[in-house]
Amino acid sequence: MSFKINQLSLHIGEITICKDLNINIEPGEFWAVLGVNGVGKSTLLHHMINVDDAISDEIIIDDRSLSDYKHHRKHLAKKTGILLQEYEYNFPCTVLDAALIGRHPYLSEWQWESLEDLNITENALKRTDLIDLKDRLTNTLSGGEKRRLNLATLITQDPDYLLLDEPTNHLDLSAQIKILNFLKQHIQDNNKAGFMVIHDANLANRYCDNVLMLYGNGEWASGSTKEMINTNNLERLYNCPIQSLSNDSQTVFIAG
Amino acid sequence: MGLLVLSGISILCSLFIGSSTLTASQVLNVLMGNGSTLEQTLIFELRLPRALVAFCTGAMLSIAGVLMQVLLRNPLADPYVLGVSSGASFAALISMLLGFSAMFIVGGAFSGALLSIFLVFIFANGKGGWTINRLLLAGVVLAAGWVSLISFLLVISPPDKVQGMLFWLMGDLSYDRPLLPGLIILIIGFLLTIPLCPKLNVLIWGEKQASSLGINTKRLRLSIFLLSSLLTAGAVSLAGGIGFVGLVVPHFVRLFVGNEHRILVPASALAGAILLILADIVARSAFAPVQIPVGVITAFIGVPLFLILLRRST
Repeated sequence: MSFKINQLSLHIGEITICKDLNINIEPGEFWAVLGVNGVGKSTLLHHMINVDDAISDEIIIDDRSLSDYKHHRKHLAKKTGILLQEYEYNFPCTVLDAALIGRHPYLSEWQWESLEDLNITENALKRTDLIDLKDRLTNTLSGGEKRRLNLATLITQDPDYLLLDEPTNHLDLSAQIKILNFLKQHIQDNNKAGFMVIHDANLANRYCDNVLMLYGNGEWASGSTKEMINTNNLERLYNCPIQSLSNDSQTVFIAG
Repeated sequence: MGLLVLSGISILCSLFIGSSTLTASQVLNVLMGNGSTLEQTLIFELRLPRALVAFCTGAMLSIAGVLMQVLLRNPLADPYVLGVSSGASFAALISMLLGFSAMFIVGGAFSGALLSIFLVFIFANGKGGWTINRLLLAGVVLAAGWVSLISFLLVISPPDKVQGMLFWLMGDLSYDRPLLPGLIILIIGFLLTIPLCPKLNVLIWGEKQASSLGINTKRLRLSIFLLSSLLTAGAVSLAGGIGFVGLVVPHFVRLFVGNEHRILVPASALAGAILLILADIVARSAFAPVQIPVGVITAFIGVPLFLILLRRST
């Protein structure tokens, strides 16, 4: 049981995102993906679940390649889910109804959500501190509340592999820590795996076990957080001078 | 449920009210199977079919509206935005100009709508697949093209035909309509839309989200496009360009039942049917014996109702 990327080369237009990318995401692991803006981190994430193209024999989820899931989309959606950067909010509905769509992969065409589906959803809302807002309309939520709703929908979907596109976006400092603590706990307790695009190398350093760095031009490197996050690698990654500050318990990196 | 009862009541109302004065007891008498031949003709061959045509048209437009709003992810989209109705109108006007009968006008309108759907589909499917913007642009530009052709037709047509054409463009239920094709399109369209509803609930959050929850988004949006276009084609062929129903009814019903499409679709269909039946009663009796195009009445009723609701909604 694992999420493997095997010799994947990915391009958009003129840009090469990665060349011969090999990684292996095991249950219980929390990965960070680091790289400058526009290097293709989100595209890589979308590619990892994008069955529309269905040409990806390089992506192997629980021993079956992505193209094998072409006719088993709901099955795939039980294994992998994604927290996107942006969602559309043109059609307001209640927070509960919004999170309930996470149950879609579990329902057949004519089936309505059961009481159990409702319980699972309410539980996800409880865990993301949204239960008191469950009857609120989604267009009245703040940026942080929306982010928690997106997360609650993903938790309701309950995939084994969680692809996370900047989960800390729009969140204040304490909310960032809260959501990462939550994700770390969720991954450890339930033997899930996380693969997270994030711009804060210090948060990656603090929460993640493994790091994938996309340097641009298809170059990449991966390894344990300890090996990967250091001044040299970060300077190469962000192409700017980096200083490190340490105390007894941790090291932080700052630009400039 | 309430809507189902209401739609029944409004069909009944349409039997009782009309330009020639029949008393309530006369109508009841006819419904019991009695009454004079004239009265029977009036009820069963004029008022009832007309109410049913209004029912079908209103329901089709409303379902098409719901679908188009989800397809374009915009609660203000209406079934006519992609030019289906304009294509239908152009073909219908040509049939009228050539002096064809009602059946041919309806058939012509439907072919025009199909042609328009086909053109939008071809142009929206350019390099790299279709996007909402490209679909919208293709539709809007084609609609503009049809409208200029329609203006051209109106200018060159003999004056005695222009009145009928204008009525058709505004949406009109007054002449003899073949009910059966409309009914068939409505039933098929409705039955095909219902299983899509859970997917619509997901699609309103965006295509990536829908795809990540196990939905084949390419197939889904093609189904939505075709269904909504066919329903629009059916409605427009039957009753001309009745405006407002497809935009306002779904929007209006969303305010009450929210965005659960399994409820929204049937509720909108019934609400649209009721609105059009009531509008048609007004259209044929308010200024009797002069008939007003029902499209004018839907706007008369719909606009203030909608504005009041808009102010009240949070």
